[in-house]
Amino acid sequence: MTRQLRSSVVGVVVAAVVVALGAMWLFQTTTTSQSASQAYQPARTADGKPDLNGIWQALNTANFDIQGHAARPGLALMPAAPRSGVAGLVRATHVELPHPSVRPLGAVGGVPAGESVVEGDEIPYQPWAVAKKKENFDHWLERDPEIKCYMPGVPRATYMPYPFQILQGTDKIVMAYEFAGASRTVHLDTVPDSPAPTWMGWSRGRWEGDSLVVEVTDFNEDTWFDRAGNFHSDALHVTERYTPTSADHLMYEATIEDPKVFSRPWKIRMPLYRRIEQGKKLLEYKCVEFVEEMMYGHLGVVDPATGQKNK
Amino acid sequence: MTARHTVSTLALAVFIAVAIATSGAQQTSTAQPDSTSPWKQTTTPWGDPNLQGVWRYEAAIPLERPARFEGRESLSDEEVKESQRLEDEQAKQRLAGAEGAAVGRRSVAESPIRGNEYNSFWQDHGRPRQVFRQTSLVVDPKDGRLPYTPDARKAEARSSARYGAGPYESYLDPDTGERCLTDGVTALMWQGPNGGHNRIVQSQGYVTILHEEYLDRRVIPTDGRSHGTIRQWFGDAVGKWEGSTFVVDTINFIDRTNYEWASIFTRPSETLHIVERFTRTGADAMEYRITVEDPTTFEKPWTAVIPITRLADGTQIYEYACHEGNYAMTNLLAGGRVDAAKRPR
Repeated sequence: MTRQLRSSVVGVVVAAVVVALGAMWLFQTTTTSQSASQAYQPARTADGKPDLNGIWQALNTANFDIQGHAARPGLALMPAAPRSGVAGLVRATHVELPHPSVRPLGAVGGVPAGESVVEGDEIPYQPWAVAKKKENFDHWLERDPEIKCYMPGVPRATYMPYPFQILQGTDKIVMAYEFAGASRTVHLDTVPDSPAPTWMGWSRGRWEGDSLVVEVTDFNEDTWFDRAGNFHSDALHVTERYTPTSADHLMYEATIEDPKVFSRPWKIRMPLYRRIEQGKKLLEYKCVEFVEEMMYGHLGVVDPATGQKNK
Repeated sequence: MTARHTVSTLALAVFIAVAIATSGAQQTSTAQPDSTSPWKQTTTPWGDPNLQGVWRYEAAIPLERPARFEGRESLSDEEVKESQRLEDEQAKQRLAGAEGAAVGRRSVAESPIRGNEYNSFWQDHGRPRQVFRQTSLVVDPKDGRLPYTPDARKAEARSSARYGAGPYESYLDPDTGERCLTDGVTALMWQGPNGGHNRIVQSQGYVTILHEEYLDRRVIPTDGRSHGTIRQWFGDAVGKWEGSTFVVDTINFIDRTNYEWASIFTRPSETLHIVERFTRTGADAMEYRITVEDPTTFEKPWTAVIPITRLADGTQIYEYACHEGNYAMTNLLAGGRVDAAKRPR
């Protein structure tokens, strides 16, 4: 009995130790594999830095709306008509209707649904800024700088539906964007402050482990985050992190600070995908010529679109 | 924002009468590096010759050879000395805020452009412009002149007469520069008196040239690929290294402007073929050689040799937000309407 008890106690202890060891082993394995995926060893450039060279592109709906959103019937919407009909027998009306200016585009002009790229899906606007964001959304067609082919700013340039190329020099890195031919130079060496506010920001980069960290400052207040009217002021400060997570993926994170518009810093995060097509090139999207008729056609003596005199 | 190349190199050739020579103290030809210089070509970590930095054309050599230097490829010592004196003097005058002849430019009265052109405040031609012995940038044909076809010469005359004079009836009437598109690839390395800086950044398999004016950018692969088939404003460029010379071959240009360019020698056409050779000849000096072949505009290929200067470390190029701030277009068209209303019917 005693003996049995003792042996059973021993058995329990042994079993406990085995379970504990097993758990530790499992735990260790899990941690190891986790850190293994985090610590993906990227290819190196000749000077020993993580090699981020390549043509990259986001594959998400962030340029439509960085926050989570259901599908919408049009890039621009018009206010819903009031519900009509007699009480108790109400005729159905649209909740959202495409704005007449984009309606001929049909299914091409809609907005696909998408998950948020914003951490926690909340953009911490100050109270006044909530109203301005809504106003921007409602007046998207007149206000979005993308429509006029203006330089897209940062971080928006990263997740527009166009590729961009990282050209990694030794003390400068060029980020070449297809949209509007915008470029920015990331200075890895020490440079003085920007002499003036800019569209694409003033970028200072450094390596932190295998991540390229870029502090972007000196913005003007004229760029947006997306086609949903999310905006910032000239106090914008973006801290970007580009981290290779496989041969063909970068994890992109950007921390957004702007004390004039937001109540706290917030963060977006998304993978970027390498354009692996053989011989892929960054091509031109010189959209200035695409928007001239819209911007200036009505201003001259003659409208080139019709050949007629303007009134 | 307007009148970007009122002072085209062609105009410079006409107006800067004496400013075409080289100082005795300076190297006599860009093609010959100073043999006493301790400079050695450095390489990137991956072994390519290093051309990185911010470069600019800072000389005062006319594109085409002025008539008074006919038959002469280089200047005499006396002419070099006089040219240097003049450049120094004009640089001093520029700093003092002078305009017109005192700084080697047209006075308001002499200008063919109504309202004149940009004043010196907007122009940056170097500090002072460097003097070289070359009498023209064009070295081939031997006469130093662009071999325009008869049709192109007529178009050149038409576009010159029109430039700055109009009429400006729509946004298609200003030239591509004023429309914030581009002034083209041909003169990219040596034009842009208000944004002529070029930053060269090298990465493995690529050479990138960022030209300040119009944000012009060329990403040139050096990985041995052949030309693609897509036509673009900046064509399709492929690069290779021949010794320490970077050679770029560009075809597949497109001209979507349907327009006679103000500086017609820079216009792209579907038959344009450009071969460029970048050879660093010193720590701060590069010979840029360009051969232009385009049967649409020229009777035969022509070659120009252009000395390029590397600016001090720490020189930046800045964001040239042209289209974003192109109030000039709106104003120009408003002016065009006023002009049209005044015109007798």
